[in-house]
Amino acid sequence: MRETSTYTEAELISSCTHGDKNAQRVLYDRYASVMYPVCVRYLGREDAKDVLQEGFLTVFDKIGTYKGEGSFEGWMRKIFVNASLMHIRRTDVLRRTEDIDEVPEAGGVLEHGVLEQISSREILDLVAGLPAGLRSVFNLFVMEGYSHAEVGALLGITEQSSRSQLSRARSLLQEKIKELYHGKR
Amino acid sequence: MVRDDFDQRLRDRLEGVTEPAPDVWEGISQGLARRRRKVVFRRFTVAAAAAAAVLALALLVFRGPRNDGQVEAPARIAGTVEPAGAPVVAPAEVPVPDIAPIEEQIAALPRQAVAAARVTKPAAPQAPATAGPAGEAPVAVVPPVEKPAVQEPVTQEPAATPAEEPRADETKHLLTEDDLPADYWTREESSRSSRSRTHTSQISILSNLTTAASDGDLFYIPSASHASSQTGKGQAVSDIEPISASNAPKFYAPLTFGVQVAFPLTDRLSIATGVNYSYLVSQFDILYKKVLYEGAYNQLHYVGVPLALSWHFVQTPHLGVYASVAGAAEKCVAQRYVFGSNVASEKVKGLQWSAKAGVGIEYWFIPHMGVYFDPSLIYFFDNRQPLSIRTQQPLQANFELGFRFRI
Repeated sequence: MRETSTYTEAELISSCTHGDKNAQRVLYDRYASVMYPVCVRYLGREDAKDVLQEGFLTVFDKIGTYKGEGSFEGWMRKIFVNASLMHIRRTDVLRRTEDIDEVPEAGGVLEHGVLEQISSREILDLVAGLPAGLRSVFNLFVMEGYSHAEVGALLGITEQSSRSQLSRARSLLQEKIKELYHGKR
Repeated sequence: MVRDDFDQRLRDRLEGVTEPAPDVWEGISQGLARRRRKVVFRRFTVAAAAAAAVLALALLVFRGPRNDGQVEAPARIAGTVEPAGAPVVAPAEVPVPDIAPIEEQIAALPRQAVAAARVTKPAAPQAPATAGPAGEAPVAVVPPVEKPAVQEPVTQEPAATPAEEPRADETKHLLTEDDLPADYWTREESSRSSRSRTHTSQISILSNLTTAASDGDLFYIPSASHASSQTGKGQAVSDIEPISASNAPKFYAPLTFGVQVAFPLTDRLSIATGVNYSYLVSQFDILYKKVLYEGAYNQLHYVGVPLALSWHFVQTPHLGVYASVAGAAEKCVAQRYVFGSNVASEKVKGLQWSAKAGVGIEYWFIPHMGVYFDPSLIYFFDNRQPLSIRTQQPLQANFELGFRFRI
């Protein structure tokens, strides 16, 4: 088996397109640690493992359709985001989530320097700990750059609902960041 | 502005975050192996059907030489006529009468040509020259049709009296139609009909199964053509767009039922037509009014008219083997989407054309009823029809089973 580092990205894609098992393993080793946090952001750690597996199977199925437009990592990320969203819809988690109206609006602006005291992994856990609906809207709008109309279409909610849920997601995150920051002091 | 800043700072912290992933390679590896097996099975069945189709075409093109009126060697029937009063021989030594070939030869001739045939009368002077002792059909040795005038007469010497010289007025006899029994031609027609009844007009009741089913190892690229081919009618299907999301599409094996009528064109060639109904079901993700619906069901109902030519290269009273080529035009009379609690249905414009080649075998377990099995290879042309297994995998192995009734 070739070492991970000896494959260029183009070689890796080409070999995976032809079903090379070694190349598939190398691609998995190279990108699993990048795609796993994406799944965690959308689903939390419990469900992220299943979607990671599902996403890689989709990647190997469709890798022949990657035309080199845009980064390969970005192309893969879209597949994992889609896989996560499908998982959310399949498990109907958006309907089972707690009443988002109970979440308070933002209580103020996060002071500069606070966020920098929190590690990336802790921020990831905070995002993953949001209620499913808020988490999905936050990820799609903030991390993926979708508009509220697009978020609404993807999640089957209205544009207004998307705006509202994003606002609540921000408030909740800021509150938790502050708690974490003050807990550290 | 403050919010945008917060979003940007969060994005900066989260982008590019890596974290050791749980090892799911084993599950991925097993999933890949399952998908490979499906692909191999599909390729095998398509290859088998292709081989059957090639064999069918080869049989159609390189079929064996035909017997264009040439008679078989007369020696074959030398022992079939017993002179009256011939010594009785042990049953084991009695040649089995086999008059079928000569009947066919006579029938293949114009009736007038029979008069040119010459036979040797059996030694017994009182016995009819043209009939066997049991009154079977006449025995005649017939020259080839092409050269009736120059063909030397073939004589037949009864084995029981090889040394006897026949009398001059009995040795040579010109067989005329008058020599045939009065009901010869009637019996001959009846006999021919009986022998060739594997190739009469038929009605078939059929059902198809194809190998074309998939639960994810097909990647489809949604095309505007899938949506644009529908007739606009309210919001219905025209508002639906199949999308390529992370869920793999699933195509179920199509089912076809139908009735066909076949008519013989020649002694081996027949033509068949009828009406077929096909039912296709798929499951894929769609966007309906910009809302994503996962795993929507799509049902397509096709009614079609096939036209098939078949070459029957084996025909026995019970068994028939044939090769066939066919084409069909099918109309999608209805398509239906079921997603969530919604249902949308509409007709589809245009026709689905297809071509088919294959071999078939039929077994007649009673004279007027039989079963048949037609493995074939079928190709569906791109006629801008809705997304289905036919648009995603145009070449399919097809297995048709049915009952056949002679009419």
